[in-house]
Amino acid sequence: MTNDLTNDERPPATPADSMRLIREQRAAAGRRLFPSQLYFLVPWGLAWLIGFGLFFLRYGPNDRTYLSMPGWLPLVALLGLLGVSMVISAVASARAYRHMAGPSALKGAMYGWAFFLGFLSLGVSLARVSDELPPNDQGLLWAAASVALVGALHMAGGAVWHDKSLFALGVWLSLVNVAGVIAGPGWHSLVIALAGGGGLLAFGAVLAVRRRTWLAEPV
Amino acid sequence: MHEGELDPVIHAQARLRVMAALSTLDDGDQVTFPRLQEILGMTAGNLSAHLRKLEDAGYVDLTKKFSGRMPTTLVALSRRGRHAFEEYTAAVRALLDPPK
Repeated sequence: MTNDLTNDERPPATPADSMRLIREQRAAAGRRLFPSQLYFLVPWGLAWLIGFGLFFLRYGPNDRTYLSMPGWLPLVALLGLLGVSMVISAVASARAYRHMAGPSALKGAMYGWAFFLGFLSLGVSLARVSDELPPNDQGLLWAAASVALVGALHMAGGAVWHDKSLFALGVWLSLVNVAGVIAGPGWHSLVIALAGGGGLLAFGAVLAVRRRTWLAEPV
Repeated sequence: MHEGELDPVIHAQARLRVMAALSTLDDGDQVTFPRLQEILGMTAGNLSAHLRKLEDAGYVDLTKKFSGRMPTTLVALSRRGRHAFEEYTAAVRALLDPPK
């Protein structure tokens, strides 16, 4: 946007100039006011793909090890990647909503808290009982319960933002979770890495395209 | 419809940009003055002057709020402003592509 227009009381020279000004300004405002969904989907998608991928390679079906590595590595890698994802999402959403007030900022904040408190409550509950289970089932329980919560929250997000594709993503995550649990320990990691993490990344790609179209819309 | 009939409050380059930027907000959402200023690349005095004209026309709502001790002004399109902007855009589009 050129600065010589800034002070200008004069009308745009032609209707085409008016339309161009509207389009450019809406795109510029949209880019700054609304964080790209990629900040929310790509880090989590990669965390699942890599973290659960390592779980599958180290703790495969029927206790098979496809790739030898220290036993602690998959869990540490997954938790580390999830931690990084959480920070990226929180910073992106705080940066966007810090300068806004109203229903959108409130929705965003409540949704963030739903994730945080949901996982707190889930984690405390599972920690209390998971030691009673054989090691394979412990891992499955933690992973499956977490994916179930993420799937449910994405469906709820679809309801909050009237977004059918966000709802569909939640449905997809819930269904692949069920399929993975039925297939059993080891397989669940593979399913969540590829269909879950891959699903988040694919959805991110769809949204990135949709956002570019939306930013280019005149009104 | 010809260009002379376009809403003179909006049909000025700086205010058209203000209205276009505010039109991306959802109903009920407000943006802080400094953030709007940064998006538009205008000086504070300049933006204030244009917002005052838009407020006089009933097109924007300005709300003062305190975050801690710091006063912040929140800006949003009023319902009337959103309607006026939609009419303006429709009129411009009609000028670009006259109905046959």
